[in-house]
Amino acid sequence: MSIVALGIIIAIKVVVILAIILGIGAYLTLVERKVAAHIQRRPGPMVVGWHGLLQPLADGIKLLTKEDILPSSANFLLYNLAIVMALVPASLVFAVVPFGPEIHVFGYDIKPILTDVNIGIIMAFAFGSLAVYGVALSGWASNSKYALIGALRKAGIIISYEVVITFAALGPIMLAKSLSTYDIVMAQIHQKVWYIFLQPISFVVFVFALLAETGRVPFDIQEAEAELVTGFTVEYGGMKFGLFPLVEWYVEVLSLSSILTVLYLGGWSPINIPFVGFVDPFFFLGPWSGFIWFIIKVTILFLLVLWLHWTLPRYRIDQITTIAWKVMLPLALFNILITAFIAPLLRG
Amino acid sequence: MIKKVFEKPLNFLETILFLDFIKGMSITIRHAFTKTITTHYPYEKLTPPKRFRGFFGHKTVNGLEPQPVFDEWVDRMKIEPRPGKSRCVVCYLCKKACPVPDLFEIDGGKLENGKKVVSVFNMNLMLCTFCGLCVDACPVDCLFQSDIHETASFSRKDSILNLEKLEAIGKSWQDRREHEPDRIWIDDDARQALWRENKLNLKRVENA
Repeated sequence: MSIVALGIIIAIKVVVILAIILGIGAYLTLVERKVAAHIQRRPGPMVVGWHGLLQPLADGIKLLTKEDILPSSANFLLYNLAIVMALVPASLVFAVVPFGPEIHVFGYDIKPILTDVNIGIIMAFAFGSLAVYGVALSGWASNSKYALIGALRKAGIIISYEVVITFAALGPIMLAKSLSTYDIVMAQIHQKVWYIFLQPISFVVFVFALLAETGRVPFDIQEAEAELVTGFTVEYGGMKFGLFPLVEWYVEVLSLSSILTVLYLGGWSPINIPFVGFVDPFFFLGPWSGFIWFIIKVTILFLLVLWLHWTLPRYRIDQITTIAWKVMLPLALFNILITAFIAPLLRG
Repeated sequence: MIKKVFEKPLNFLETILFLDFIKGMSITIRHAFTKTITTHYPYEKLTPPKRFRGFFGHKTVNGLEPQPVFDEWVDRMKIEPRPGKSRCVVCYLCKKACPVPDLFEIDGGKLENGKKVVSVFNMNLMLCTFCGLCVDACPVDCLFQSDIHETASFSRKDSILNLEKLEAIGKSWQDRREHEPDRIWIDDDARQALWRENKLNLKRVENA
């Protein structure tokens, strides 16, 4: 494969992934509003387009045409840098997410993953930790008490749950004997088992950490609309304000759901019967069925997160850190101990 | 007898199985798949009850006045009752009953035959709390509160009701709802279909 062809393929991958992620992220606002509304027995947006289908467009136009106000005592550089620091790491996680099996297009074998680095999982968690800079900078730079309190709370949560999420992810990594996201999925396909069946404790811990990292209920104290008026975004206006929830609630949830799918739900593999094989109702699509399965799994996880969000009340900050350090971390370590005994028994 | 005051806290097994989460989530998923209970407001509207305390109006002389009170007051105040016009007898009782001093502006005009009619009747609704004391005070069932509740306007001038507006509201009320039975909600069927929870089984009042 020539260097030019490689470059073009990578450019296409980058454009496609960014367009899909940000486009879907915008439309997930509508999904969230619809789900929230129906849980509260309202219909949600109904006016703009059929059942509000054009609502994200209307929202986008509204946010873009709004006045951009900089608070008089805010730090101009950090205030604007915070948006970049929030958006870029969250989107970069998708660089290591494998969306499907290897496909054969125009004479090239293409892996639908931007960079199949051999430390993909570490990269994903590193970018996930970088996201705290966006929140912390925005809270500090906007020079507001509410924003600062929200940012500090978010930093507290992320410091706790980064540890937990990494130790939880160690289980599947030990079973797959690889840090590459692509290889972890391939290992699950070869061993004919999704790791959720071998790692139920780790799965639950990971889901909790996912909720905490993305600021979802029951861990949404960093924005706590009743007491903190949406926390660190309080001094932002227009599209700058629109980007923070877009990143935190949608892009990050999508990226961590994708990582969770890769680690526990077998990535693009079809329905699994443990240690027997895979059942694929979409077999007629050939290699493209993998993409369908990946989308289905991420969608289900996203809807689960929404369902939890609009059901539960929120924990206090001390309860959150208590759960992280006293419950989740010991559970994750205990899970590693069990995994150490299981891992040699698996072939592959 | 032991009365159950509230639920016991979850025990250890129930906590690690997320029983509380599951209970809450089962409730929300059931609600998510039931029909919505919203009235799509600008497009659909529920009719307010007949006794709703909305904008004010003057009922007009149409032969349905409360008798013999109306004739007594007409004689006492030397009023010329004109069909299709306000029933007001310029007794100022509504102004006396009102807790706000400047809300009402009432004046009567003299006719050539020596009798009076109401010529000025302004209500400044910027000051009004819609308490309804003036309506209770009205001896001839003239001043009343209608079901008009969309009272937003573009200028302060629009919130002052003068005699023409009051008469127009009163006439439209007499056309629309005067003969309705006096009950809390008249569209029980629509509300039942919408909310399904107030299982009302009231006897229909036939033309009260």
